[in-house]
Formats: sequence, structure tokens, C-alpha cells
Amino acid sequence: MLMMQYQRADSGAVDELVQRLSPLLLRYFSSSRFGRREAEDLLQDCWMRIHRSRHTYRSSEPVMPWIYAIARHTRLDAYRKSGRLAAREVLVANVPETLHQVTVETRQLDFEHLVSSLPDSQREVLVMLKVSGMSLEEIARATATTVGSVKQKARRAYETLRRVLGKDIKHAE
Amino acid sequence: MQNDPGDFDLERKLEDWAAAESSIRVSSELTRSIQATLNRSLTAVKPVPSQGTLWLVFMTLFMGCAGLLIMLTSRVGIHLMTPVQLGGISVVLIAIGILFVAKLVEQMIPGSQSRVSQSTVLTFGGIGLFGGLAILFPWQSSPHFVSEGWPCAVLELAAGVPVTGIFWLLARRGTLFASAGLGATLTGIAALVVLIPLQFQCMFQQAPHLLVWHGGAALLLIGLGAILGRRP
Repeated sequence: MLMMQYQRADSGAVDELVQRLSPLLLRYFSSSRFGRREAEDLLQDCWMRIHRSRHTYRSSEPVMPWIYAIARHTRLDAYRKSGRLAAREVLVANVPETLHQVTVETRQLDFEHLVSSLPDSQREVLVMLKVSGMSLEEIARATATTVGSVKQKARRAYETLRRVLGKDIKHAE
Repeated sequence: MQNDPGDFDLERKLEDWAAAESSIRVSSELTRSIQATLNRSLTAVKPVPSQGTLWLVFMTLFMGCAGLLIMLTSRVGIHLMTPVQLGGISVVLIAIGILFVAKLVEQMIPGSQSRVSQSTVLTFGGIGLFGGLAILFPWQSSPHFVSEGWPCAVLELAAGVPVTGIFWLLARRGTLFASAGLGATLTGIAALVVLIPLQFQCMFQQAPHLLVWHGGAALLLIGLGAILGRRP
């Protein structure tokens, strides 16, 4: 409803949408290894993209996947522009070793650090699932994949976390 | 996601983590700044048509461009093909076109339901095209394979670029995110549009020629689209 009012240039709807959605979007950007300041810059960039793309929202479709699809590409473009994407891909390829090092080096398990060590695509699904409270279908729409693919990413994220947590417990014993 | 009682600890940690993430707040100053920026350029907009309408528009453009190119080029190849070859390859090319256009419409609207993945579209498109050419046409090779073939490939690439531009201009009505998938879809559609008249005007209706010089050029065009599409 608010999106339709936004399309009709209702400034009250804009204010309401910014108020309601900005915290969710900032959490999404903050969980992407961006610092607070960068996440705030991305939030502003994302709102400009939402503004320019507002005609592509259709009232018959759910709004959250539309918003998160734009946010996701804002983040991906930021990675590309800053040259971080290549570095991230190297990290992704080395995830098991990285996680193992974390386990060995830090006896005191830092769960937040563990989650941030997950590959981007898996962490993204966890954030949308747990922090944003989106359904599997909504995540599939936002990430332009199928529900099966989202389930697989979530399962892999759980398996990785479970494995590392298990190792940590054994290590502590 | 819980499989056994041991997962309780993981679930609890995930809930704690999600709660900590949810404590992040946006400053009122930043909120006001975003609201002011958006309100400054706020105008009424007309929502894009439904995906079905967009699909129809793009399919009309697809058939229109292919038809125009058929009119402008010679149609000697039609007389060299048997009815089975002519009907078969036309069905294959149009069916792949339908698939690619449906994918493009999905990519234009953020948050669209993805019915088939990009890799599935490309795989089925590739299997359909190369399989169709390999099955429908005779496996005869010519001693002038290269000299007869390269003009077809050059023609396909040269015509594919402006056709890609036409589809890109129309697709810009939606939201186009820089991605390899979008680039591959756009150039894939252009390659199919050009392949239809090229098939109808080509004098060399043999599988090796069609696979290498027609199919190969289409692959090259799709690859270039994927590379260029990644640039933001």
C-alpha cells in the first residue's frame, strides 16, 4: 500500500517507508563486512536506486524481495567498485581453512566472527532468514534463485557452523 | 533446520546473533537526510506492465527484428532445406527465444520469481541449438570449410551488436543490474534473432558449418555479453 502511494508521489509514504525499512537495510549492509560508515553510504545509495526503480514495483508482488533484490545489487556493485569482490572470492575458496584457524587460534568461540567467515551467499541467506525474518520463497525472489537453491545454501551454512562448533567443543574438552 | 537435539545450541546462538544484529539503529539525522533527498525529486510514476505484457512486447520485437532481417537478406537457404529441417530448426530457434525472453523479463523486475535458473536457460538453449543442428542437418564437410564459414560468423556478430542494443534500450524500462547473466541473456536473444535469417540465407546447410560458424558465433556473442554485463 505504501509503495503504491510512493509511486503516486505521496511524500508521507516516502517518509514512512524510509523510517520502516532503513533499519532492516542497514542491518543487511552491516552484516556484509562493511564498516558502519560504509554501510550508511550503501543505505543512501540503495534508497536512490529504490527511488529510481520505484516504477518497477507491482502491487501484486511482495515488497520485501523487491527491496532486498535492489539492496543486494547495491552491495554487489560496491564490492566490484572497491575491488573487494576478487579478494572475497579468494576467501570463499579457503573457507574451511579459515574456519579451522579460527577454531584453533581462538579457544573462545566468537559466533559473530564465525558467521562472518561464511561464504557471502550463505551468510546472506542466514541474514535474510534470521535477521530480516524472510521466508524461503521471499529470499529466492530477492536473490534471483530458486527455493531449492536457498535451502541448499542455508543447509550448507548450518553444516559449516555445526561442524566448527562441534570442533570447538571437542577442543575445549 | 534443526535435525537433532544437538542443534539446539546452534539455534540458540543464531537467535542471539540475530537479536544482536537487530539492535543496529539508523540515526534520525541520516533518516531525515534520505527522506529529504527522495522528496526533492518525488514525482508520480507509472508502474511497469505485467510480466506477461512485457513478454509479449519482447516476443513481438524478437519476431519483428527476425522478420525484417529475413526480408532484407536472400532466402536461398530455405530452398536448400527439407520441410523437416526448415520446420525443425525454426521451432528450435523460436522455442529458445521464448525461454531467453522470459528470462530477460524476470531480470528486468527486481524480486521476480525465478522459475528457471540462468544456467538452466543457457544449458537448455545450448543443447537445443547444437542438438537440433547436429540431428537435423547432414554431416558433410566441405574442402572450403573456413573460407565458406567465416563470412557467416562475421555477419552474425556484426548484426548481433545492434540487435543487442535495441533490446537493451527497451529493457532499460525495467531495472537492469550489472550481471553476467543479464549480458548473456541480452546477447543470447540477439544471437537468436540473427540466427533465424542467417539460417534462411545460408547456402551451406551442413551440420559442421552450422555448428561451428553459426552456433560458435552465437556462443561467442553470449560470452562477450556475459563479460561486458559484469561491469557496473
